[in-house]
Amino acid sequence: MIALRKVTRTFETGAGSFPALRGIDLDIGAGEYVAVVGKSGSGKSTLLHMVGGIDRPSSGAVAVSGADLAGMTPHQLAAWRGRTVGFVFQFFQLLPTLTVAENVALPMDFLGALPAGRRDARARDLLARVGVADQAQKLPSSLSGGQQQRVAIARALANDPPLLLADEPTGNLDSQTSGEIFGLFAELSHEGKTIVVVTHERDAVSAARRTVTLADGRIA
Amino acid sequence: MTVSPRWRKVLGDLEDAPVRATLAVLSMAAGIFGLSLMATSYSILDRELAATYAGTHPSSATIVLDALTDDFVETARGAPGVAAAEARPLVQGRLRVGAGEWVPMILFVVRDFADLRLDTFAPDSGAWPPKPGEVLLERTALAVARAGVGDTVVMKTPAGPETSVRVAGTVHAAGLPPSWMDHVVSGFVSWDSVMRAGGREGGALRIAVSESPGDMGHIRDVASRVKESLEAAGGRVVRMEFPPPGKHPHADQMATFVFLLGGFGALTLVLSAVLVASMIHALLAKQIRQVGVMKALGATTGQITGLYLAQVLVLSGLALAVGVPLGYAAGRAYARFSADMLNATLSSLAVPAWTVLAQIAAGVLVPIAVAAIPIHRASRITVHRALGGDRGERKFGGRRLDRALAGIGWLPRPFLLSLRTTLDRRGRLALTVVTLATGGAVFVATLNVSEAWKRALDLDAAARRFDVSVRLSKATPIDHFRNAVLSLPGVEAFESWAEGEGALASGSRVSLVGPDPASKILNLPLVAGRWLEAGEEGVAVVNNAVVALDPALVVGRPLELRVKGKALTLTIVGVVKEMSPAPVAYAPEATILAATGQPAGMARTLRVVTRGHDAASQLAAKQELDRLFEREGIGVDDIQPLADRRRAFEDHLVIIQSALLLASALVLNVGALGLASTLGLNVADRTREIGVMSAIGATPRTISRHVVAEGLLIGLLSWAVAVVLAIPISWLFDATTGRIFIKAPLDFAMSPRAAGIWLALVVVLAAASSAFPARRASRLAVREALAYE
Repeated sequence: MIALRKVTRTFETGAGSFPALRGIDLDIGAGEYVAVVGKSGSGKSTLLHMVGGIDRPSSGAVAVSGADLAGMTPHQLAAWRGRTVGFVFQFFQLLPTLTVAENVALPMDFLGALPAGRRDARARDLLARVGVADQAQKLPSSLSGGQQQRVAIARALANDPPLLLADEPTGNLDSQTSGEIFGLFAELSHEGKTIVVVTHERDAVSAARRTVTLADGRIA
Repeated sequence: MTVSPRWRKVLGDLEDAPVRATLAVLSMAAGIFGLSLMATSYSILDRELAATYAGTHPSSATIVLDALTDDFVETARGAPGVAAAEARPLVQGRLRVGAGEWVPMILFVVRDFADLRLDTFAPDSGAWPPKPGEVLLERTALAVARAGVGDTVVMKTPAGPETSVRVAGTVHAAGLPPSWMDHVVSGFVSWDSVMRAGGREGGALRIAVSESPGDMGHIRDVASRVKESLEAAGGRVVRMEFPPPGKHPHADQMATFVFLLGGFGALTLVLSAVLVASMIHALLAKQIRQVGVMKALGATTGQITGLYLAQVLVLSGLALAVGVPLGYAAGRAYARFSADMLNATLSSLAVPAWTVLAQIAAGVLVPIAVAAIPIHRASRITVHRALGGDRGERKFGGRRLDRALAGIGWLPRPFLLSLRTTLDRRGRLALTVVTLATGGAVFVATLNVSEAWKRALDLDAAARRFDVSVRLSKATPIDHFRNAVLSLPGVEAFESWAEGEGALASGSRVSLVGPDPASKILNLPLVAGRWLEAGEEGVAVVNNAVVALDPALVVGRPLELRVKGKALTLTIVGVVKEMSPAPVAYAPEATILAATGQPAGMARTLRVVTRGHDAASQLAAKQELDRLFEREGIGVDDIQPLADRRRAFEDHLVIIQSALLLASALVLNVGALGLASTLGLNVADRTREIGVMSAIGATPRTISRHVVAEGLLIGLLSWAVAVVLAIPISWLFDATTGRIFIKAPLDFAMSPRAAGIWLALVVVLAAASSAFPARRASRLAVREALAYE
């Protein structure tokens, strides 16, 4: 499913070059549930960005589902993300001016794979799936953090992508809500989704089938 | 020199957001440019137009005698209170501009070209002075006469034959209206000119008073004394004329025009400053954490206020450096253009120092004044709130409108996103919309006024159902030409009415016209009262220009005139609205004939109805009439197709329309920059949101479309506001221009075309203004956008 070969990523800063990833080789199979752990600045989020086509490596190759991300234009990459990847962010990142249901339906609008008439129904199904169907018409600002993250997961599932990427998805939630979120990821993994979670949470690590530890841009 | 960290921050913040800083500078520069352009052209025109006119030594009064000798001129010169006197007889006639095509002409006969004392003019090109067979045309008359210096033109006076005269040169007579505006050829000939014999008013004597030249009462007193002296010396004074003292023929037009320049210059600067305040507000929102840190380090509210005011000062300085030189150059160019339009010569393009100082002061103080409040408010934030506590940021959903917008679900989601995003930051949106709408409103109002004039001229044409008016050189028996005129192929019918002239007690002249009450070709719109009725006498219907001379002249009141030296009192029974600044009283034919002592059955003016009614038919009929009267030996002063009258009116409006269009262009310029900066700020505010959209599959094109849609929405909103705002502005312009040109406010008119053009324009402006922010948004790196704070 995911293959990283000799991937490096160096950022140029005012203080000089900063290597965030140093020659990463990593394979993740379809349906795997992988937790990426490491200290702050170890390169976890950068790795996730490489896999999700959000950032490009300074050198090396990234292939996801057989697609070489390096050769894609920004337009192709965006469409590929919409089709292949579902993102869950630490701060939920719901669009504040759209209702909960509209947030979930938005990726379907961008990809345009599902007929327009069926998108609202699918959004409601997904919200029901994550347990916030009753919030569908509300604006994100009126939801709790846990509810917002559930909506974000529903949004990540909108186009039924095979790959879910989550960057510290529970970093802003209490432990009980975090447990519920990881429970959702476990369910999705059982259904065959490939899941990569960047986390500090012990619960997530224990729920994952595999843990990748990063230190100073390398797999430890 | 070491710059303290505090002041390095001022510059560093600006360097850090170059696009925002550039937009702020451009917005301010656009305002300063507008102000500078207007102030520069205003100061030049105000000074030069007055100086140009004063430089012609305008006369205070004209005394018309039946015959004028040099002795009479000397008598006038010696009269008490007279500063100068000069003979300046008039010869009215026509000048041939093509086969059978003539235009009206006024020739001023000059006693001595080397000793011009009043209403002076200066050589412009060619010879000076003209020989007996030559004429010097006013420089703006060449185009109307369709002639060049050295050409020979054919002139005809009522009493004389067609005469070939050589155009020896041109002069500049700044006291005369430009020929192209009035469609009358003005020229100057010498005392021994071959044309002089054709003049009817051989005795025009002009005088200027030595004291109080602006006091009409004093002028009248002096003129009366001169009249007495002339009569004591054996002269016979026919009448006296008093132009408005110290006023150029187009003074009102110029005053309006200059007022518009000043007003819109100030408006442009205020609007641009408000935009800058909005930018500063957005900048401060991003700097709240830094404000908190500085306060935690010991900075006082005053120090922080000073810091950000210094940023505004730097931006203002840059904007002044860009705006003032450009505005200065454009203002001088516009002053030259306007002077050409008004037939004035600019002796100097110098701009007084106070103008530049005022621009600099306004360019610095206005932005500081409008930015001071948001800066002071932001500087007062507590350290706790600034560093992570509740920063008072508003969330979408907290207001009723947010919830109402959230309830609209039937629109396409990407469009909904654009709509709600647009309406989220209402303060910024309102400023942008108001700025853009103000420019749009002036633009729409300018076109509305044009439409109002068009409709007024259409109504005028409908009120005068004749196509050509003919003015004969003298009253002629109608029987002499009736059948011949009616037999012309292009002529369907004609009417001729009794005419005369009277004077109000103030000395103002009022034309008397006696149409047949049952006339089918005159149907003037009544403002009050009724029209003339068959068989009545001693009544009058006056036009709006008479009421403008004396507002007490309303229905039921007496109209007291002096006609041929005798008193004539008519009862006003109606007031009509007419597209003419000339005062006219319509009275029964018998009343006019009795007052003027004319016999019945004579005609001086003919109103001719053509068969085709269009401009070509009017021209053809004019030529047929010309040939006919020439054949019949009947002298003609002028034959004017109604289309020419209309064109003359439209040409008078050109300068006001040009000023209005320039003003709207300047405000629109600021509006477009405001829109670009608002969209830029919105993109910056939503950087992370854009990153999220990219992460969940939005392509760069989708994001770009989102920003453009936002721009278009703002544009459409401003369009709607502009169309509404244009209503009172149009009303104001209608009233002002109406009072200048027809002595009555113009009827309000809305032009659907204006709204349509502005819609197309605003869409183009919005698309152009959003192009750069859209490009920037679509090119944001997703990783950086997601990390943006």
